[in-house]
Amino acid sequence: MAINLKPVDVAVIGLGAAGGVAVLPLARAGLKVAGIEAGGSMDPRSFRPDEIHNNVRGLVTSVPKTKGEVPTVRDSPSSVARRVGNHPMMNAIGGTSIHYWAQSWRLKPWDFQTRSEAQKRYGASSIPAGSTLEDWPLTYDELEPYYDRIEFEVGVSGKAGNLQGRIDPAGNIFEGPRQREYPMPPLRGTEFTDRMAEAARHLGWHPFRPPAAINTQPYQGRPGCAYHGFCGTGGCHIGAKNSTAVTTIPAALKTKNLAIFDRAQVTRIVSDANGRVTGVSYLREGKEYFQPARVVLLGSYTYENSRLLLLSKSKAYPNGLSNTHGQAGRHYFAHWGTQGGGAVTALFPFDINVFYGLPAQGTTVDDFGDDNYDHTGLGFIGGSSMHVHTELHPIEAAAMNTFGRAPGWGARWKAFVRESAARWTSAYLQTSTFPYETTFLDLDPEVRDPLGDPVCRVTTSSRENERRSVEYAQNKMEEWFRAAGAIEVIKTPPTGPALSTHAYGGTRMGDNRETNVVDRWGFSHEAGNLGILGASVMGTSGARNPTLTVQALAWRTAEHLVKSWKSISA
Amino acid sequence: MQPEDPEAPQISRRTVIASATLIPVAALTAAQAPKTALSASERQILEAFVDRLVPKDELGPGALECGAANYIDLALADALTGEKESFVEGLAAVDAFARKQYEMPFTQLMPDKKDAVLSEIEAGRATGFTNPRAFFARVRRLTLEGMFGDPYYGGNKNFAGWDLIRYPGPRLAVAPEDQKMSAPPKPVRQSAYGSNFNHGH
Repeated sequence: MAINLKPVDVAVIGLGAAGGVAVLPLARAGLKVAGIEAGGSMDPRSFRPDEIHNNVRGLVTSVPKTKGEVPTVRDSPSSVARRVGNHPMMNAIGGTSIHYWAQSWRLKPWDFQTRSEAQKRYGASSIPAGSTLEDWPLTYDELEPYYDRIEFEVGVSGKAGNLQGRIDPAGNIFEGPRQREYPMPPLRGTEFTDRMAEAARHLGWHPFRPPAAINTQPYQGRPGCAYHGFCGTGGCHIGAKNSTAVTTIPAALKTKNLAIFDRAQVTRIVSDANGRVTGVSYLREGKEYFQPARVVLLGSYTYENSRLLLLSKSKAYPNGLSNTHGQAGRHYFAHWGTQGGGAVTALFPFDINVFYGLPAQGTTVDDFGDDNYDHTGLGFIGGSSMHVHTELHPIEAAAMNTFGRAPGWGARWKAFVRESAARWTSAYLQTSTFPYETTFLDLDPEVRDPLGDPVCRVTTSSRENERRSVEYAQNKMEEWFRAAGAIEVIKTPPTGPALSTHAYGGTRMGDNRETNVVDRWGFSHEAGNLGILGASVMGTSGARNPTLTVQALAWRTAEHLVKSWKSISA
Repeated sequence: MQPEDPEAPQISRRTVIASATLIPVAALTAAQAPKTALSASERQILEAFVDRLVPKDELGPGALECGAANYIDLALADALTGEKESFVEGLAAVDAFARKQYEMPFTQLMPDKKDAVLSEIEAGRATGFTNPRAFFARVRRLTLEGMFGDPYYGGNKNFAGWDLIRYPGPRLAVAPEDQKMSAPPKPVRQSAYGSNFNHGH
């Protein structure tokens, strides 16, 4: 028998990058919030400058629950899905924002209206065949105040490129207009990233130091970054990376309106005969609990958001919660680019010393992002941001590609890595990616998690638009590396991503309830007191990391809930 | 409407740390007696294998001298215990294949013959393996970990792996000049678990 807990105003499922942000405006408004998180709290002392611990063995990120919920993947609706690799996300208070790269981008105005803008500029035939692309139900301008809010509440460093329409080439000249400068200056450059920036300018491009949720000076009582080189897949031992574990969650706890239930695995969202959600069921230390709530905000991760809806069947929702129109799990996609196998790796004839630093430290070129250049005749829409960065650990450095210059072992290999391990780097490309009819999430018919529930099944098929787009960017990236003096460049053919830390869709946001799960505020078209947080509501990816957009949307959904409390909770 | 419910599971409030102090990185568990996984003869085969992957020469110590075999042996008894069985089978297959080709134990072959055996395994042509290519790739990968990982795990002896590739070692704070291309920083030659990281806890 489940233990019935006393009701709260809002139950938030998942205290990661999204839920960890949403709790703050709710708690500040005086709502009683239960934050239900599958992971525990992480001790910053466990964040070590140790590649074997962090990166080889994944000991920061591997949590039993996430391991048990690894989705399966298949490349077409007719093939059998299999598990490949590990779950890319983690469970913890703070979630993956603890160990992510912290690149904190705003999307472009174009990303919100891709369909209509592409049709206008290139004609209706430019929309990729088979895609289910729709314009967002909101514009960049509507989200701008929330981007601004997160940049200051969480803390983002960067340099404005478009301040209320004034263009500053020290920042990204292609960004949408912002109301004010970032609260902190950008991460510093290095001799190598400055050299790359100079090469880009020589090519006529517009490099800049990109934004990051990383302190570059003391901010909100925490210090600036120490550039020590163990940021990605690690955690910050000094709290300079602005995960929700050190920013919005402690701020919400201070109000005394947030109670955290950690190591609590949500198994179902419960709904009544009228189609309203009534609370969540979860397991903690083998015991089953039911947490009644007037409103539920679902903020796990793209894969689990869809899975939990599909698992939460009821009389009102025989096909899964908020899935009357079969939209839960649809419009799934994950970033192409480097995450989709499209790497560009360069060897220089001199040491570049990128061992220290962090992946967010570097130089970015956005001249070929989104629709920042004319695509006429190219055969694809969308583009790629190109980022060259620091942080290279020694095992990874030595495991380098030999560029055909040496065998893979023996004395000649040793001589090669002795010379070259400090002389190579890989660029990070992120490519606009779109949803398709044949890319979706559902429940795996065979594979189950340790509780006996089906895991999420990812169906992702090859996409010509994205493949062409990545290859175009890879050629530009090669040009850039060579302009900076690279003597070898290898481009890996893009295959598209499998499981991804940049996974989108499944509970898409839109005005049309027949093609979208949530409305323009992030609330279910069907269960009006269920809100959904995360990149699962996003209908396009842009050519950049999702987290800042996820957080801006989460704040906006929570603020809407506060403002409309009576009508939503009634 | 209070979430403080007598029936509620314990709420964790120790949780979230927003401290501005530099927290010592390695609050580690007390050292345990190192445990290894391989028999003496298995260890010898592995040592001969890694010695050929990265030989000692005028450029410095090789994988054997760096303790890569020691790293692998320790890991198979610890984090990699799940793959010990298949790994030991692979080592036995190396020796069996050497005996088949040259009627000698792998460890007693001349370097060029050892290399020929390893090349056959790498190319997937060697017999007696479940998957010769995969086994070769795994030994190579673990050798890199043992040579270039933190010495805490039993390899990278005297930081020789890091010195070989000019990795300057873990620092808790990195100054702008430590990231210069033209004048790389002085190597610190310390483990993340060394005394320099243990201050103040």
